[in-house]
Formats: sequence, structure tokens, C-alpha cells
Amino acid sequence: MIAALARPQVGFRVLGALYLLLAAPPLRTSLEATMSGHMLVQIPLLAAIGFVACRLLPVARQERLLDAGGGAVPYVVLVVFASTWWMLPRALDDALASPLVEAAKFISLPLLVGLPLALAWRRLGPIGRGFVWTNFISMLAVLGWLYIAAPVRVCNSYLVDQQESAGWLMVKLALLLFAGWLASLFVGGGGNPALSTAEQVAPPPAPSRDCGPERN
Amino acid sequence: MATYTYEHIPDQGAKAGVLAYLATSAVVLLLMMVFGLLMRLEQAQWISIGAIRFYELMTLHGAGMVGIAAIAGASIMWHFLRQYVDLSSRIFVANLVLFLVGVVMILGSVLLGHFHGAWTFLYPLPGKSMGLWSPGAAALFMGGLLVIGVGFLLLHLDIARALVARYGNFSRALGWPQLFGHDDGKAPPPTVVASAMVTVVNVIGLVVGASILAMMLVNLYVPEFDIDPLLAKGMIYFFGHIFINATIYMAVIGVYEILPRYTQRPWKSNKVFLASWTASTLMVMFIFPHHLLMDFAFPKWMLIMGHIIGYLNTVPILVVTGYGALMIVYRSGIRWDMGSKLLFLSLFGWAAGAMPAFIDGTITVNYVMHNTLWVPGHFHTYLLLGMVTMVFGFMYYLGKPSHEHDDHLIDRIAFWLFTSSVLGFTMSFLYSGKESVARRYAAHLPEWVPYDRIASVFAVLVIASALVFIGRFFARIGLARHDYQRAPVARSVAA
Amino acid sequence: MSDAARSVVLTVLVTVLGTGAFWWGTDGFSAFTAETARRADILRAPRPLPAAVLEDQDGRVFRLDDYRGRLLAVEFIYTRCTTICRSLGMAFKQIRDRVPPDALGRDVALLSISFDPERDDPASLKIYGGSHGADGEHWRIARVRDAAQLQALLDAFGVVVIPDRFGGFEHNAAIHLVGRDGRLVEISDLEAPLQFAEKLAEAL
Repeated sequence: MIAALARPQVGFRVLGALYLLLAAPPLRTSLEATMSGHMLVQIPLLAAIGFVACRLLPVARQERLLDAGGGAVPYVVLVVFASTWWMLPRALDDALASPLVEAAKFISLPLLVGLPLALAWRRLGPIGRGFVWTNFISMLAVLGWLYIAAPVRVCNSYLVDQQESAGWLMVKLALLLFAGWLASLFVGGGGNPALSTAEQVAPPPAPSRDCGPERN
Repeated sequence: MATYTYEHIPDQGAKAGVLAYLATSAVVLLLMMVFGLLMRLEQAQWISIGAIRFYELMTLHGAGMVGIAAIAGASIMWHFLRQYVDLSSRIFVANLVLFLVGVVMILGSVLLGHFHGAWTFLYPLPGKSMGLWSPGAAALFMGGLLVIGVGFLLLHLDIARALVARYGNFSRALGWPQLFGHDDGKAPPPTVVASAMVTVVNVIGLVVGASILAMMLVNLYVPEFDIDPLLAKGMIYFFGHIFINATIYMAVIGVYEILPRYTQRPWKSNKVFLASWTASTLMVMFIFPHHLLMDFAFPKWMLIMGHIIGYLNTVPILVVTGYGALMIVYRSGIRWDMGSKLLFLSLFGWAAGAMPAFIDGTITVNYVMHNTLWVPGHFHTYLLLGMVTMVFGFMYYLGKPSHEHDDHLIDRIAFWLFTSSVLGFTMSFLYSGKESVARRYAAHLPEWVPYDRIASVFAVLVIASALVFIGRFFARIGLARHDYQRAPVARSVAA
Repeated sequence: MSDAARSVVLTVLVTVLGTGAFWWGTDGFSAFTAETARRADILRAPRPLPAAVLEDQDGRVFRLDDYRGRLLAVEFIYTRCTTICRSLGMAFKQIRDRVPPDALGRDVALLSISFDPERDDPASLKIYGGSHGADGEHWRIARVRDAAQLQALLDAFGVVVIPDRFGGFEHNAAIHLVGRDGRLVEISDLEAPLQFAEKLAEAL
């Protein structure tokens, strides 16, 4: 993460600019012109903005939000539902057809996917994170297969070959993420036996921890 | 070369969770053995349960045995790995709970829904059942497998967490600095190396397995989403092969831990040992095509890869472990008791069981042998005389009343009865295979029936001896919890 | 409330709300794509259609409303289409052949509407009709010349047309049934023309 982002005011401004850029017609229409751009670039970026924004909040505030929401699990479930929603072909079509749905997408992805995920991630611990990662990866691969194997054009707004290429991209992305996650288990780490007990305590409140169960 | 010295770790009693795992395995094992016997009796034409019942039993027998092999193996791994890293008891128990939930789902699917497509789901199963079972029954079965998979995923993630916490990363847990650099004699102990290997391959296998199960569930309800049958078979066997292989890699930890305690000699994690485990970590993921050698539609390179790596993978861990065990025992004056005898026998079973697979892994042999009883002959030797025997050895070790305690006569008889009847039982499979008796068939030709009858008699004897082992385990389950010395001191050390 | 209890309650709450949202958003887990949703929606509530002026293969100008009082089968095509429109044409022919002869024209009519008025002039419409066996009376091939009217019509029918990269179009293909009152009452799969024909016969 860029060092400047660690300063909240700068960070929020950069995120705001990125958000507006994504919402402005030139980038929005060009990303939404292809299914891959829509599903694999625009939607993840919107969620990522929410994730980073959450990390810029004061730690105490994040902890309060976590407590209010009953800890990590409810937030993860919320993320699962909200992110699955925007993977429905119907939701993609609706977002293109209706400005209201499009607005809902721009609001819900940072707020109901990125932000709660960032909150939950703080408290998940290595097992929870590994569980979320592995499940996410296998479901991404399955979703990719669904788009490849679909006997019909699932989105009225997209060509059928786009659907297939989006599907293959998802499968490849899943393989890549899995390989990366596994590789992260093999490298890094201090390997200091003395640290073994530090593992059990809550993760340190570093702002940019966002992937893999590797620690220390 | 680094020098290795024996560091004594006192024998520990089993946690309640480990005993719950073993008790579950023992009960399910007996039940599944009875199911297996019923199948043999049906083929022997001594009973008549009908084809559908036969395939239902076969489905339960297959899924159940794989399940308890994994559960029993995990209990051995967990029991010993706990000496080195900090594992979570809650997750260990959660895995067993999820396993039992999955078992109930599978039993419901088979006994109430009459699903009998086996857990290997050969195409066009499980979707196209021709009305013999409902999509709901198939979905329940696959859901049960998914639940069991989730439990094991959690268990392995916990092990991964603990290994990373202690060793920093998996490269170190597998001893790569010592393998590829200077062997300073500080490589992780064999238990850690084996656990790391199993965790890596099982997590990969489980993610692939969960993916194909999810795909088949979609296909079940929306058949328009076609699954390429070859892709499905490849993914299922990728997962299945890794998962069942991992059971023996978990159980062998019992050998690594218990035999050194008997002879006070170290099990060295030297370069050869580390190299064999690292090699198998990679190879175990690429040998699944040896299940597909007769599928000519598969890409040729895949089959050749399966053939070659299948040959290679037979060797490393098996030979290194067998040689290691001989070195530990040779002129050590080891005191043979039920625990050490069973563990030593298990290594023979593992080696003997691998040989038929080695032969069947040859493409030209595979064409004629793979769909015969030769293959059940292989995996029954490998699992019953190898994997399950390790578990029995572990059970005797845990329940041994004191290090000086002598075995009862009935246990000694049961040991020899078990050894000879398992050999008779598996040999009749292998001989039937050699005679081209088809596999997975409820009905057998009249010429084949004599082999089935011989096998049935041996199967009864196997069950009888297993009953003694398991009965003894349950009788001593109270002792198994306590910490005290179990391993008798070898004569060479005592002298 | 303890932390654990709070976590359980909220997890259940989120699960229930989430499942409810999916139930609502997919019409009871039945419509995951916009196309199935469109069909289910119309079956539930027949949709009024906007006025449109059309021109047929002989250059005759008529209005969609002229068909009021008759059952009208509608498909959307473009004449240079070499893929799905052919299946549509085939399906239309099968339907036409199964309508009782005395009802054809009097109580049932078929209409193929081109969404490419630029290039589909009456001459090309006529060739298209001829190649699919349309008679030009009971089954007419027509275009909507006014771009705004065409878009309104496509929107009302829920047909999305996007240019592919080869000078043609990709579009959702289906057979639409317009009732006697001029409202869109049903959308059928083009793979099931016989069922559509049966439904027509029942409605007579």
C-alpha cells in the first residue's frame, strides 16, 4: 500500500477520487461494456474501495463496529450474500437497464461487501481467513464453470462469447489466487519458535493486512 | 552429515477427542467390514440381498471406509503433532462433529433415498439414475461429503496455522533449508514433516473436491449445465486419490513416533527422508491419472505422466520408511508386543499393497486389469494390512497398561489370525483379478463363485480378529487417557 | 446479551434477510437471469404495448393496434441473421402449420419484426419471408421505421439487441404472444414451438 494512504485524510480523498472516476460515464461505460470488465474489474474495485476505506477509520471505531455487529461471523455472512447477489446474471442486466439498480450497486458493494469484509478480517484469525479464502476460491472456479457451461446466454446485455471469456477468466483467476495463497504459506514468516504463542492473540491492528493467513 | 541423537519424549495419554475419533473409527470400521462381508457373501451366492442392496452396501462401504481411514489417520497425526505445535482442540472436535453430521446425511441418502452410485460417481452418475434414486438422494449424499470436507478443511487450516506459527512457513516445516542447503540436524521431526505434507496436499485436494461437488450439485438440478465427464472424473479422482493416500501418510506418523520410543533410537529427518516427503508432496498430486489409464479420450501426456509418476511415487516414502524402520529395529533388542508388532506388520502391508498398484499402473496391464478385482485386491492390502493395521497398533500402544505388561494369549492369537486371514482375503481378490473377475459386480459367473467363497471365509476371520483388537481397545480406553510410560525399554538400552 | 449469543442472533438475522432478499430478487429462486424474470413477470401481469407504425414486405404501412381482436405471435429478427433467427423462422413456420386453417388470418396472425430498419428494406424483408415460407398476409415480415418507436417496442417486449463484432447482432430470441386486447401475455422458448401452437389452439 502506498505510504501516503496511511494518512486518513489523504487516503479518503484518493478513494473518493477513484470512486468518482469509476462512477463517471467514460470509465463506467467502458468497464461495463464487457462482462469481464463489469464482473472482474468494476465490482471488485468497488468492494476494494470499501475495504480500504474501512481500514482508514480509527481502530477504536472499527472495533466498536465489530462489537456492534456481533463479531466477525455475521459480517462474513453479510459479505457472502451481498457479493453473491452481484454475481447473478440478472443483477448485472438490471444494473445496466436501470439507473436505480446501478446506484444500488455503487452503494452496496463498498458498504455491504468491502467494509464488512475489512471489519471481519481483523478478527478472523488465520483459520477463518484460510476458510474464507479457500471457499471463495472454489466458488469462484465453480461460478466460472457455470458461465462457461451455461446453455443459454445468461445476460441479455452481453454477447455469449463474453460470457465464456468471463467464465474462463474466473477459472484462471481462481487458479492463480489458489497458487498465490499456497505460495504464501511457503514463504515469509520469521520462523522464530518464540513467536508461536503470539499467534494466538488478536491480530495486530496494522491497516494493510488483507491477504492470506501468513503472519509473524 | 549431521548427527542425530534420540531425544526422549515421554509417552502421553490421548486427549478425549483422540479417543472419540478412534472409537468412532472402530465402530464404523466393524460395521463397514460387515457390509463388505455381506457383499462377498452375495457374490459367493450364500446369501441373496439383490443387486440394489449390494450397490447400496458398496456405496456405504466405500465412502465409510475412506471416511474412517481419514478420521483414524487424523487422530494419530493430531495426537503426536500436539507435542510440537499448539493445536486447537475445539477445531479437532468440530471436525468429528461435522464428520458425524455428514455420515448421517450419507446414511439417510443411501438407506432412505436408495442412492447407490458410489462416491466415485462414474459418469453418468449421480445425475442420471434412470429413476433408481431421486436427485434429492444424490444431493444429500454429495452434501454429506461436502460437510465432511468442510470439517477436514478446518482441521488442516488449524494445522497449517499451528505449523506456520511454530516454523514460520511450510518450507521450513518440510525441512527445505536442510534439504536444499546444509543439513544442520535441526530439520523438523518426521511428524511435523509428514503433517505439513498431508496438510498441503489435502487442502488442495479438498478445494478441488468441493468445486466438483458444487458443480455436480448444480448439474443435478439444472442438467443443462453440462459437466465434461472427463473433467469430472479427473477432478473426482484427483481429490479421491490425494485424500485416501493422505490417510496412510497421517497414520505412518504412529510408526515414526512409537518405534523410536521402543528402541531409543532417533527417527532421523535427514536429507533422504526430507527429499522423499517433498517428492511425494508433489507426486501425489500428479498420479491420479493412473485411475484413468483406460480412458483413451484423456490427453496422452496425462496418461504417460500418471504412468511414470505412479511408478516413481511408489518408491520414496515407502522405501525410506521401510529402511528407516529396519534401521531402528535392527539389533536393537526391541521387545515385541502387540503395538510394535502391528506397526511393523503395517509397513509390510503398505509395501505389499503398493506392489499390485505398481503393476496395474503400467498402461498395457491396466487395460486388462483395472476393471477386475485386482484393484480392490491392491487397495484392501494397502489399507487393511497397511493403514488400518497402523491404527490397530496405535490403539494397542495407547491402551497398554504398563511398559512391562505382557500381551494376553488371545491377542497374540488374534495377531496371527489377522495377519493370515487378511493375506488370504486380499490374495483371493488378487487371484480373482488375475483370473479376470469383474469388479463392482453384484452377480458373479459360476466359475468365479469359489474364489468369492474362499474370500468370504477369510473375511469372517478378519472380522473376528478385528473384534478382538477393538474389544481390547474399548476395554482399556480408560487407561488410554493417562500419561505413563508405555513403550518397553529395548534390551540393548536396558543392558 | 453475551457476545456469542449476539453473534448467533445476528448471523441468523443476516441469513434470514439475505435468503429473503434472494427469494424476492429471483422470484422464489426460479429466475436467475433477466430473461427468465422477464418471462415470469409477463405471465403474472400482461404488459400493454406502445403504439407503433410498421411497414411490411410489400411496403404496406400498418399499426400494431390493427391486430386487436386477434391473437398475434411476434418474433424479433434481422434478415441477415444466419443463426438464431433461422431457428426462430423455423419455429414460426411450425406454429403457423399447426394453426387450424379457418382460424389463420381470422383469429390468429404471425408477425416477424425486424430491429434493423436501416438495412432491412421491404425487398430484403420479402426475401426473408419467402425463404421461411411466410405468405405475406397471415404471416408478415415488417420493420419499424421510427427509431424511437422501435426502441419503445423493444423495451416493452424486453428484447435487448447488441451489435456483435461481425456486422450482425446478438439478441434474446423468443416467441411472444400478444393477446386480443393488444397486451403481451406470454413469452415462450423458441425451442418449444409445438407447445406454443397447442396454447394457441386452446385460446381459440
